[in-house]
Order: sequence, then structure tokens, then C-alpha cells
Amino acid sequence: MSQRGVWQLQKLIVSYCNWGGSSRGVRAFMESELPSFKEANPQLEVVTELNRGQHPYLKGLYKNKNERVVSVMNMTPEEVQLCATRLRNSLGRKVVKLKTRHVTKHPSVQGTWTTSTQI
Amino acid sequence: MANRRCIQTLAQQLYKSLQHLRTLTYIPNLPKLNPKSHHMFPNANFNSPLIHFTTYRHYSSDQHDNSDVSKDDDSEYDDDDDDVMENNNVASCVVKKEYSPEEQETEAAAIGYKVIGQLQRSDRVFKAYEPVFAVIQIGAHQFKVSNGDCIYTEKLKFCEVNDKLILNKVLMLGSKAQMMIGRSVLPEAAVHAVVEEHALDAKVIIFKKKRRKNYRRTKGHRQELTKLRITDIQGIEKPEMPMPTPAKKVEKAAVTA
Repeated sequence: MSQRGVWQLQKLIVSYCNWGGSSRGVRAFMESELPSFKEANPQLEVVTELNRGQHPYLKGLYKNKNERVVSVMNMTPEEVQLCATRLRNSLGRKVVKLKTRHVTKHPSVQGTWTTSTQI
Repeated sequence: MANRRCIQTLAQQLYKSLQHLRTLTYIPNLPKLNPKSHHMFPNANFNSPLIHFTTYRHYSSDQHDNSDVSKDDDSEYDDDDDDVMENNNVASCVVKKEYSPEEQETEAAAIGYKVIGQLQRSDRVFKAYEPVFAVIQIGAHQFKVSNGDCIYTEKLKFCEVNDKLILNKVLMLGSKAQMMIGRSVLPEAAVHAVVEEHALDAKVIIFKKKRRKNYRRTKGHRQELTKLRITDIQGIEKPEMPMPTPAKKVEKAAVTA
């Protein structure tokens, strides 16, 4: 996710619990895959937060001040990495149904057709 | 005659027991000849009505001892069906096919794009708008694009975010004065694009119902999309645009001086 070459995800917060069983996958992810994820994304600020007694989640803060929270409760480390990669890959825009698949500011090059256009 | 009949029945029983050892639930009372017989009657009375002269027919309603059958099957067919069993198990799991670089390139070329490399900070790829358009095909979808447009396509497999791509399936090029139509593809044309994001679309709920039949199903689906930003169109003469910024600078210098 990078608009015109600028990465949009600024900060990733990994919140986990060191006692609960739902955080098992996140704890394994933090040991095995988080270092390589950090190295692959030097522009990203990754923070781990201990939140005892709560279920784990990933929180992504984007440049447009948007916050996306993804619960990683009871997930395997591979699934947690997939979630983290998805957060990194997306812009911070709101998840709504797309109006069009082609977004443009200049829809016409040779002039928009009217009934009086002559070829 | 009676003796011959007895021998015949004996032979039949032997044949059947040897042929269908596993499926046999009724164990014939053969004295000492059949090693599987558990019951040894002291008086082998062949003429008694207790002996059933079973035929060779097997019915689907025959009670099979399924555990025994399966165990025997597995032990016998282990070598042959090992691969098949493994394949079935693997297919049930998520199969991630490992593509070699050549396979990746050929598949990507088939869809209609080619990965060049990562976008560097020093690349000045995002230019001003030029009044040139191209009709591009990616996978099964076609778009009419121009410089600076954004396109949402199905997820492109072999590219990361911030990758530069060349889209080579160009069907038509056009500008203010000129138009080039490909048959069906223009060979010399190329369109450059940059991958902006790989994201999931909003969730659509697929709801199935058959009225008065007590049938209702709900399924959620999020499509994976890739957003491409078109940066350059090559293969057609672009009209020269007058540069506005140098004129302004000249004016400011004249005003200050």
C-alpha cells in the first residue's frame, strides 16, 4: 500500500497477552516471523504491547488518520502474518463497495461523444 | 450319488471360502479342511438341514464387518494407493503451488503483465497528465486508461506493493490526432504501471433461500483486488504540451527585477 510511492501504514501495534491461550499464535508469530517482517518493512514502526487478560489484536495506523483493528484471536502464526501483510498492503481508505473499477480525472482524450459529433 | 453331492458341496464351500475370505461372515462348518472354521462339530452330518448351501451371489445387503474389511484393504493395497491417499489428504488442505521464476513469468505474461522491479525513491515515474489513451487487457477485463488513472483488477499473483509493471496486452492506442488499432494486440506498445495496493473488497453476503422449503444459506465473500496506477503509455506520438511553470517563473523574475 503506497500512494504514489509513499507507504500509507505508519504504525503497527501488536497487542497480546502472555497468559491467555487465544494469544498463543501471536506469541509464536512474535518469536518466529515478526523480526523478518520488521526487516522487510523498515519504513514501518512496529510496536508490541502487553495487554493482560484481553484477546490479541493487530492495530494499524494509517497516514489518513484511519485506524484498522484486526482481531487475531486463536489464529496460527501463519494466519497472523497474513493479517499483518494485508494491513501493510492496503491503503487506509474505508472499506466500502467500489463504485467503479476505473478511477480517472480525465475521462476523455478526443472529446466526449455527443449526438452532434462528426467523425 | 450322495457321496458325489457331498464332495461337490465341499468343493463349492472350499472355493467360496478361498475366494471370498474377507467378506465371509458365515463360516462354513467344514471339518478340518477349512482353516478358518471355529466350530468343530464332532459329527459332520452333511445331510442335516443345518448346513446351508450358499450360492456365490453377493448382495449389497450382506452384513460386512467394515472395520475388518478396511483394515485388510489398507494392509493389502498400502503400496499402490499410498500416493492416492496422500493426494486426497493434501487436496483437502490449502494447496500452495510453488512457482518457479520461469513459470511465474509465463503465467504473468498470459494474464497480460510483466514485473520489472521495485519502485525506487529516485524514480520520477508519476508524470503530469498527457492526452493519450490506451485500451488494455488484464486477465479477462479490458480498460481504457490514460496517464495517472487508477485501476482495480483481480489480485495479480506475482507482484508486491510498489512494483513497477509493464502491461503488454494493448489493444488500441489513441491521442488527439492519431489512433492505432491492434489486430488484436499492438506489438510495439507498452503501458507502464505501479502497484499501489493489494486489498480486500467490501464483504458481499450471498444469501440463498427457497421459499416454503426450509432452505436458507448465508455466505460472506470478500474479493481480493489489486490497485494499479498507470504512469506511462508508450508506442504513440504524444502531442507537445506548453509548459506553464517556466512562464510563471519568468513573470515573477520580471516583476521583482
